[in-house]
Amino acid sequence: MKLAVATVAILVALAAPASAHALDEYLQAVLIGVEKDHVSVSMRLVPGVAVLPDVLRGMDRNRDGKVSASERQDYPRLLLSDLHLSLNGEPLPLQLISADIPHPEQLQDGLGQMRIELRADFPSGTGQRRLVLRNRHQSQIAAYLVNSLAVDDPDIRLLAQQRNPDQSFYQLDYMQAAGAAGALKADWSGFGRMFRLGMHHIAEGSDHLLFLLTLLLPAPLLARQSRWNGIAGISGSLLRIVGVVTAFTLGHSATLALAGLGMLHVPGNPVEVLIAVSILFSAAHALYPIVPGREAGIAGFFGLIHGLAFANLLDQLSLGRWERVTGLLGFNLGIEVVQLVVIAAILPSLLLLSRTRAYGWLRIGGALFAAIAALGWIAERLLALETPVDRVVGAVAAQAPFLAGSLFLISMIWWGLARGAYPSPTNGIRKAEDSLDR
Amino acid sequence: MKKAVATTIRLASLFGLVCLTAIGANAQTSSVRMTRAANAFLETLDAGQRQSVTFAIDDEQQRKRWSNLPVRSVPRAGLSLGALNTTQRAAAMALVSAALSAKGLQKVNEIMEGDEVLKTGAASRGNPAMFGKDFYYISILGTPSESSPWILQFGGHHLALNITVAGDKGTLTPSLTAAQPGLYTFNGKQVRPLAGESDKAAALFNSLDAQQRSQAILGSRVADLVLGPGEDGRTIQPEGLKASAMTERQRAQLLDVITEWAGIIHDDAAAARMAEVRAGLAETWFAWSGPASATPGTNIASYYRIQGPNLVIEYAPQGNDPTMHIHAMYRDPTNDYGRKYTAK
Repeated sequence: MKLAVATVAILVALAAPASAHALDEYLQAVLIGVEKDHVSVSMRLVPGVAVLPDVLRGMDRNRDGKVSASERQDYPRLLLSDLHLSLNGEPLPLQLISADIPHPEQLQDGLGQMRIELRADFPSGTGQRRLVLRNRHQSQIAAYLVNSLAVDDPDIRLLAQQRNPDQSFYQLDYMQAAGAAGALKADWSGFGRMFRLGMHHIAEGSDHLLFLLTLLLPAPLLARQSRWNGIAGISGSLLRIVGVVTAFTLGHSATLALAGLGMLHVPGNPVEVLIAVSILFSAAHALYPIVPGREAGIAGFFGLIHGLAFANLLDQLSLGRWERVTGLLGFNLGIEVVQLVVIAAILPSLLLLSRTRAYGWLRIGGALFAAIAALGWIAERLLALETPVDRVVGAVAAQAPFLAGSLFLISMIWWGLARGAYPSPTNGIRKAEDSLDR
Repeated sequence: MKKAVATTIRLASLFGLVCLTAIGANAQTSSVRMTRAANAFLETLDAGQRQSVTFAIDDEQQRKRWSNLPVRSVPRAGLSLGALNTTQRAAAMALVSAALSAKGLQKVNEIMEGDEVLKTGAASRGNPAMFGKDFYYISILGTPSESSPWILQFGGHHLALNITVAGDKGTLTPSLTAAQPGLYTFNGKQVRPLAGESDKAAALFNSLDAQQRSQAILGSRVADLVLGPGEDGRTIQPEGLKASAMTERQRAQLLDVITEWAGIIHDDAAAARMAEVRAGLAETWFAWSGPASATPGTNIASYYRIQGPNLVIEYAPQGNDPTMHIHAMYRDPTNDYGRKYTAK
C-alpha cells in the first residue's frame, strides 16, 4: 500500500508543475440553491496534485492500495457523512442525486474534478429560516468554498450569509413568504411586514431573549459581600427591571438604527460570537454579582451588540431610503412588543419567587442553563463545532408559554406558602428602599 | 442673399451627411474587420483544416470546451497555433487582433508569453511539452458574417476568450484570463499580464474608509473562482460593498477596474459594454478577501469579486505564492456566449 502511494506520489510530482490547481489543497466548492421545499447542494471537488494521494487513500476503504469502481461509487456517501446540514436547528438529511467521480488516473492527469449533486427536502412553510452547512471532509487538506445561488423564486428572499474564516461553517438566513410577496413596497404594508419580521426574529432569536432573561434573574436581589443574599423591595426591583429592559432597548435600537441606515456595519460572525459572550457574562453575573447595581449599564452595552445582529438581517434586504426608515421602525417595534410580552410573562414570577427561598434554585439553575448554552454557541460560532445547543434551546423555547405559566403557578404557590408558614424573607434582612444601593 | 443662405444650408447638410456616413461606416468597421480577418484566415487553410476549425454556432459542447487547465488535461478543439504554418499563424493572430482592442491584444500576448516562461521552467524538469504559445487554439462557431452572429474562440492554458460578434454588437463573456507566472522578465522588462487588474483594485480597496471596508471584506478565505469553468449560467448571491455606498471617485475607480476585462474586446463593443455596466453601477457589489495591498510592482494576493446585474468578475490568486498564479473570470450571466444576440 505504502509503495503504491509512494509511486503515485512520485508520478504525480513528475507530472506537474501543474499550474492547474493549488497543489497542496483539496478544493471543495459548494453551491447552494434554495427552493420552497428543498435545497440543492452542488459540490465540485478538485484535489490538488500534491494531496491527491491523501484523497485517494481516503477513498480506498479496504486499504488495498487501489481505488476500485465500487469504492469510487461509495465515495459520495463517505463525503456525505462529513457534511452536516440543518434548517432552523433541525438536521436535514442530504440525499445523493448524482455523482461524477473520474477514474483515479484522470484525477492524476489534472482532469481532477469530481461533481456531486445532493438534495435535502423540508416541509414548505413560511417565515424566517436559517440554513447551516458544516463540512469537515478531509479538513487537514481542505479548502472549502460555500456560496448560495441567487434565487429566482420571488417568495424567497436571501437575507444574510455568514461563514467562519475557512468556510467549514456556513450560515444562510432567508425569508420564505407565503406567495405573491414581491418586494417590500415603500408604504405602510412594508411596515407591517417588517413588524412581523421583527417579532419573528426575536421570537426565534432565543439567544437575545436568553440574554435578557438571564440578566433579569438577579434584578430583584441585592448584593452583599460578593454574593446575592438580599432582596430589594418591590419598587426597587421593578425599577431595576424596567431599567434593564429600557437600557437594552435603547442599546439595540441605537445600533439597529445606525446599522440599518447604513451608517455602521460589523461583520456577522464576530457579532454572533459576542452575543454568546454577553449571555455568558449575564449568566456569570447571575451566579455572583460581578457588576451589582449596574445591570442596566450592562444591558445597554450589550444591547448595542444585539442591535448589530438585528441589523445584519436588514443589511441585505436592499431597502430604499424610505423603506429603510419605516422598515426599521416596524422591525424594532416588533422586537419590543415580543420583548414586553416575554417580560410581562416572567415578571410576576420573578417578583413573587424572589421573596422565597426557592429563588436560589431558579437563579442558579437558569444561570447554569444560560452559561452552558452560551459556551455551546461560542464553540459553534467561533470554532465551527457542532453542538446540540440550538436544538435544546429551541425545544425549551417551544415550551415557553407552558413553562412561563408553570413558573407563575409555582411562584404563586410557593410565595403563598412561604408567607403563611415562614417568616417573611425580608425579616431580619435589611430592606432596601432604592435599587441604587450599590 | 436668400440664395446664398440656401446654398450654405445645402452644403452644410451634405457635409453633415458625409460625416455621419463616415462615422456610421466606422462603427461597422470592427465587425467588418473581424469578419474579413476570419474569412482571410479560413482561406489560408486547406479543406481538412477548415473542417476542424469551424463548428455550428449552437454547438454547446464546443462552446464549453475551455478551461484554465493546460491542453493536455482539457483538450481543446480547433487548430493549435503550433499546427499552422507561418502564413496561417499570422492570419490567425490577425483575426485575434481584429477581435481585441490594442490593450486586449497586449494582455493576451503577455499571458501567452508567460506560458513560454512556464515552458522553459517545465522543460528543465524533463516534463512533456504542454506549455507555450504553440498550444493555443483557435476555433470559429457559426459562419463569419457582418450581420449574423458568430463566435471566435481563442485560448489554451490560462486563457479562454469566447467572443461573440453580432453585427455591430459584441461580447466577450464568458472569458477567462489568468497569469502564471504572474510576474516575469521579458526583453529586460518586468511584465505582469494582470497588472491593471491587481493595481487598480488594490487602489480602490485602499481608498475605502473603515465603514466601507468592513462591508467590502468577506470574512473568509476564498480559495478559487466560484464561477470558473463549467459554471456557465449560474448566478450567486452578491456580497460586499455596494457601489451606491461609494463616493463618485471610487465608483470611477471601480469602472476603471472593470475596464480591464470589458476593454479586452475591440473598442466599439467595449464602449457599448461599459455603457451597460455604468447603467447598472448602483446595483454593483465589490467584495474583497485577503491582505489590503501588495509591494509596488508585485501582484496582490487577495481575492476580489465585482458583481452587478449583468456582470460577474472574479480575481482569484492561487497556490503557495498567490502573487504569481492568478485565475480571473469575466461573466455576464444574462449573455453567456452572446445568448442575447443568438437567442440560443
